Amino acid sequence: MNSDTGMKPKIAIFKFASCDGCQLSLLELEDSLLDLVNAVEIAYFPEASRRMLKGPYDIGLVEGSITTHHDAERIQRVRRESKTLVTIGACATAGGIQALRNWKDVGEFVRFVYAKPDFISTLKMSTPVAEHVPVDFELRGCPINKLHLVELIGAMLAGRKPNIPTYSVCMECKRRGNVCLAVSASLPCLGPVTQAGCGAICPAYHRACYGCFGPMENPNPTALAGRFEAQGHADRDIMRAFRMFNAWSWQFRQVSEERERR
Amino acid sequence: MEKIVINPVTRIEGHAKITIHLNPDGRVSRTHFHVTQVRGFEKFTEGRPYYEMPAITARICGICPISHLLASVKACDEIMAVRVPPTAAKLRELLHCGQFIQSHALSFFHLSAPDLLLGMDSDPARRNVLGLLDKYPDIARDGIALRKFGQCVIQRLAKERVHPSWTVPGGVNAPLEPGAREEMLKELPGAKAIARRTLALFKSVVDEFQEEIENFGTDPTMYAGLVDHGGRLQLYDGRIRFMDSEGTVLSEVDTPASYADYIGEASLPDSYLKAPYYKPAGYAGGVYRVGPLARLNVADSCGTPEADHEFGEYHQRFGRVVQSSFQYHYARLIEALYAIEKAEMLLSDPSILGKHVRAKAGVNALEGVGIAEAPRGILIHHYRVDEKGAIQWANLIIATGHNNLAMNRSIEQVSRHFVDGSRLKEGMLNRVSAVVRAYDPCLSCSTHALGQTALRIQLIAADGTVTDELRT
Repeated sequence: MNSDTGMKPKIAIFKFASCDGCQLSLLELEDSLLDLVNAVEIAYFPEASRRMLKGPYDIGLVEGSITTHHDAERIQRVRRESKTLVTIGACATAGGIQALRNWKDVGEFVRFVYAKPDFISTLKMSTPVAEHVPVDFELRGCPINKLHLVELIGAMLAGRKPNIPTYSVCMECKRRGNVCLAVSASLPCLGPVTQAGCGAICPAYHRACYGCFGPMENPNPTALAGRFEAQGHADRDIMRAFRMFNAWSWQFRQVSEERERR
Repeated sequence: MEKIVINPVTRIEGHAKITIHLNPDGRVSRTHFHVTQVRGFEKFTEGRPYYEMPAITARICGICPISHLLASVKACDEIMAVRVPPTAAKLRELLHCGQFIQSHALSFFHLSAPDLLLGMDSDPARRNVLGLLDKYPDIARDGIALRKFGQCVIQRLAKERVHPSWTVPGGVNAPLEPGAREEMLKELPGAKAIARRTLALFKSVVDEFQEEIENFGTDPTMYAGLVDHGGRLQLYDGRIRFMDSEGTVLSEVDTPASYADYIGEASLPDSYLKAPYYKPAGYAGGVYRVGPLARLNVADSCGTPEADHEFGEYHQRFGRVVQSSFQYHYARLIEALYAIEKAEMLLSDPSILGKHVRAKAGVNALEGVGIAEAPRGILIHHYRVDEKGAIQWANLIIATGHNNLAMNRSIEQVSRHFVDGSRLKEGMLNRVSAVVRAYDPCLSCSTHALGQTALRIQLIAADGTVTDELRT
């Protein structure tokens, strides 16, 4: 450890294909950011600084999905340099919104957008980090909840398990006193299978949950899809409901593909 | 004889890479700006219902999701062929002010102030927001507080800071609560004081950057930005005004749908990004800049008292048409003050508490175009749908994309002036990165089709070997 840095744990932030929204939640911490800076060493955060300390890092935070050959190699290096590897956000944990291309021909995308596609070196799929290397913890959300990030870093510094909910958005809806949209309005709400973390904002404004936080612990999306069908939703619409920001998570993928085949 | 690669360029949003090719005598021969990935929003949204587009396209960018949300809901308003209730239009504009304040604060304080206040040649290990916090704690805290104010405006209105679902086709999904309005009005004077202080600070140091001002992208270009019918600066809704480098207004786009008559998109043989240009002037002569510098060039005034005062002083010092891209910083600070004043005007208007905030309708038109100013410049969302409202085709022209040609030229200009390959110094390459930061490019946005970019500088010898590489 550097003599000028004392023994502070080193944190590094790595970006792959993403919108930057999750890593910016570090800056969202505002006043707590100053506390964080006192507690840890931000060793690698190119968005904020060109200072780059060498690994190994105590905590590596990874944002974004793996979409190029170069990414696939780089994530191996990131894993080797990070004692604890945490993926943050829907892109890193589930491939992100860009994983919608996994069901389409990526060559067609490139030809549509670029006159000289020979510059583009891309993988056919946008995949989560865990498909490439072992991941120690996944922080869900599109974007993540910044308080979860504080809790996670705090827990890791203290050497305890982070206290982050694994139950569904329904619990948050009940706490908020929302009327259930699935029951009262027959809307295709993903709340029952989606992990809590957002505070059930959308249902509070009469909008069905669209699954930003991805599948909860032990969800039953097949049963939920059956429920949507009983409410009169078509297979195509059910498929689409499960194909948003966490489309490539295996729990949602399984049910969307099953509906696509029908 | 060498090639320099800066990868990634730091303190910008997203990653990107710059390559500088040198002659055998160590002088700069040419430069390249690289982008290398695919996300593919225009294609994978095919078949999705139009009303999902705001939520999906917000994910293009975590820094300016509000701009994408607004351009997208405006395109959806057109597909529904509705008039948005006046209160809803004001609430959207207020939300947008919050976004400009937070984004401009991020760009100035977190990303560029380390160069401007600690010095372009200062120790790179300390040349960041933490180094700023050490040396100028009050300024760094101002930056955090100003960004927080903007984010709080967004949070109070939309309940979430990043990717909120509050803006919907036809308006917004909930009216403003009186308590939230009071809180914003209470915090506003503090934010205004920061914007004033920061402008005074910038004006006191700007003269120290004479060499940068003269070499940071001074090639004359055209400019484009939104204005209202009185020629005043507009961020949420207005007509695109094109102006030449001499300050003559060339045209104003009356209806969003006719943007394609004015803007062409060229594909360059040696670049990944498409390059928009002003169609009537043709590709070669039609290079224009967008963003703060361009907006304050095309507008006749800001339309709020303090920003107008600053607008007058700015043009008095640097001319009616300000050409140096270094002044993006100055213009950005004036806009931050404008956005705070505009937010105050909107909040002081009693009709902002109106309860009718959403117009409902189905598909009444098969095409819609939404245009808004993002913090980095004009943003265009263009959708075509079938009769059920499923997206058939989408085109997104992104702020950073408009600046692509001009930014490339600026990189070349700065490299030629500051980079001497025979005795390479870190400060030289930092200036190359700094010109990119002046444009405040959002590479998550510009690569909405391409995804991640990483900016790094590579030094490439005349024989093609990479002899030095700077990971900034």
